[in-house]
Amino acid sequence: MSGAPRTKRPRTVLEGPAATPAPETAAPAEATPLLLDFLPREAEGETRLGRFFARLREGKLSTTRCPRDGALAWPPRLVCPKCHQGELDWVDLPETGHLYAFSAVLGGAPLGMEAEVPFAVGLVDLDGLALRLFGRVVGRPWTELRVGDSVALEVYRTGDDRVFYRFRAPGPPAA
Amino acid sequence: MTGRAVAVVGGACTDFGVRPLTWPELAQEVGEALFRAVPSLRSEEVDSLFVGAAMPERFAFQSHVAPLAAEQMGLRPTRLLQRNELACASGQSAIRSAYAAIASGLSDIAVAVGVEKMNLPSMAEANSSMACVMDRPWDGPSGATAPPFFAMVAQRHMLEYGTTPEQLAVVSEKNHRFANANPHAQFYRKTFSREKLLGLPMVAPPLRLGDCSSMTDGAAAVVLASEEHLRRFAGPVAWVRGTSQYSDFHNLANAGSLTEWTGLKHTAREALARAGIGLDALDFAEVHDCFTISELIEYESLGLCPPGGGGRWAAEGNAELGGRLPTNTRGGLLGCGHPLGATGIAQAVEVYEQFASKVPSSRQVPDPGWALVHNLSGSANVHSVMVYQRGEAG
Ligand SMILES: [Zn+2]
Repeated sequence: MSGAPRTKRPRTVLEGPAATPAPETAAPAEATPLLLDFLPREAEGETRLGRFFARLREGKLSTTRCPRDGALAWPPRLVCPKCHQGELDWVDLPETGHLYAFSAVLGGAPLGMEAEVPFAVGLVDLDGLALRLFGRVVGRPWTELRVGDSVALEVYRTGDDRVFYRFRAPGPPAA
Repeated sequence: MTGRAVAVVGGACTDFGVRPLTWPELAQEVGEALFRAVPSLRSEEVDSLFVGAAMPERFAFQSHVAPLAAEQMGLRPTRLLQRNELACASGQSAIRSAYAAIASGLSDIAVAVGVEKMNLPSMAEANSSMACVMDRPWDGPSGATAPPFFAMVAQRHMLEYGTTPEQLAVVSEKNHRFANANPHAQFYRKTFSREKLLGLPMVAPPLRLGDCSSMTDGAAAVVLASEEHLRRFAGPVAWVRGTSQYSDFHNLANAGSLTEWTGLKHTAREALARAGIGLDALDFAEVHDCFTISELIEYESLGLCPPGGGGRWAAEGNAELGGRLPTNTRGGLLGCGHPLGATGIAQAVEVYEQFASKVPSSRQVPDPGWALVHNLSGSANVHSVMVYQRGEAG
């Protein structure tokens, strides 16, 4: 949104074909500074949601549900926002859904994501559950996406071996 | 409203834009402008200071900005001093705190100032900072920032109601045109026809560059006083007659409908009820056009037109001078730029200057008596509204 010059900085590398290293930079890529790192703190000792990340490493996206009132929460929680008690059940989420809305980031990306521009993002209604998750949409260029398209949940590993989730639209890979 | 009556007795803005100066320098500039605009103001009688600043930690690597702003402006608050952070609505948050402090009797004369320095040599780092407004660990890793979120809002509005890019361009053209009569605006003396706007590059489809407010450096300040302390401020004032706020979600999963902003319906209804007026009594409005689609949905959620009727409301000229409710005569966030902490306060300055007939004639509302100011913040998950009435000091 601004024409100011952009400064290239080391980025978290997503799973996939390795980016060609820039020839002018001999130094190894540094990790993203802690307070510019978007991913959740997932290491033991840094979060009480270890169960979520352990399950994500098994390829399953899960969240918490309150056994008292049935309230399904996103993101996963320690305490039910409805009845304020802390004994919650874990449930795996459906692995398919449909695009409720989408757009694409064509510029103005945050630090560490500039090399991924253009990328698509969307809100996905998970099948069979009243939950609409936001996430990256891969598999097809944004110009080939339509509201209502089927997408599948996908877990991916980051360059520093953390895990996160995104959605994949079936079809030909992005040109 | 309960408590003591409170009025804005004056205010000032710095130039908005890509400014070659630092956060503290912006605070000094706005201090100079404020004391020039309100010559009867004496620094020793300002007992409280509220500083709207969304993210000085990220943009200026500076916390504890309330005493910093006080020092830069030459103020020594003795009763209440605090920084107000509510992302895009930080400025209005500061005004609401000043209002509450004076209404309660804790403060007699307070300044609400908003300062934001957003343009950095590394725009990627600035974009990361902006992304922190969203649910950073859960929505952030996927690339959630304001443009793609409001783009999805626009996509749903187009799908559900048939809203068109041309209708979005009507809002942008109007607000840029008003900004051409505002020397402080980022896009002062820059002309944007609808055709030109529709040809600008896409930022987050379906939103183009001209549909999005900018990264802006700027500051604004207002002085508020209790009824008992108005006498020394001769001239028109803007009484705070109603205010309210509503927050209903943070993570995007919990947004519900993207196109129906129930939070704004609630807060506008309550603020107007507190003021004891209906929508029909309003003479103009300053609403949060962070994106063109926002202004359309704001017309609808305020109740000016039916759901989905925002595009038509704009295209029929209802938001123009002489229309049903002139909207964003200051130039809006689209034309003025959007220095997060300063925006809400610059809107209050516009209300005061409209009441005082101090704006250029090409954007002056004739003889206005009532105005409404709205800010949303984040992903439109919080709505803040104030209602002002014109009055006279002393
Ligand atoms: Zn519960």
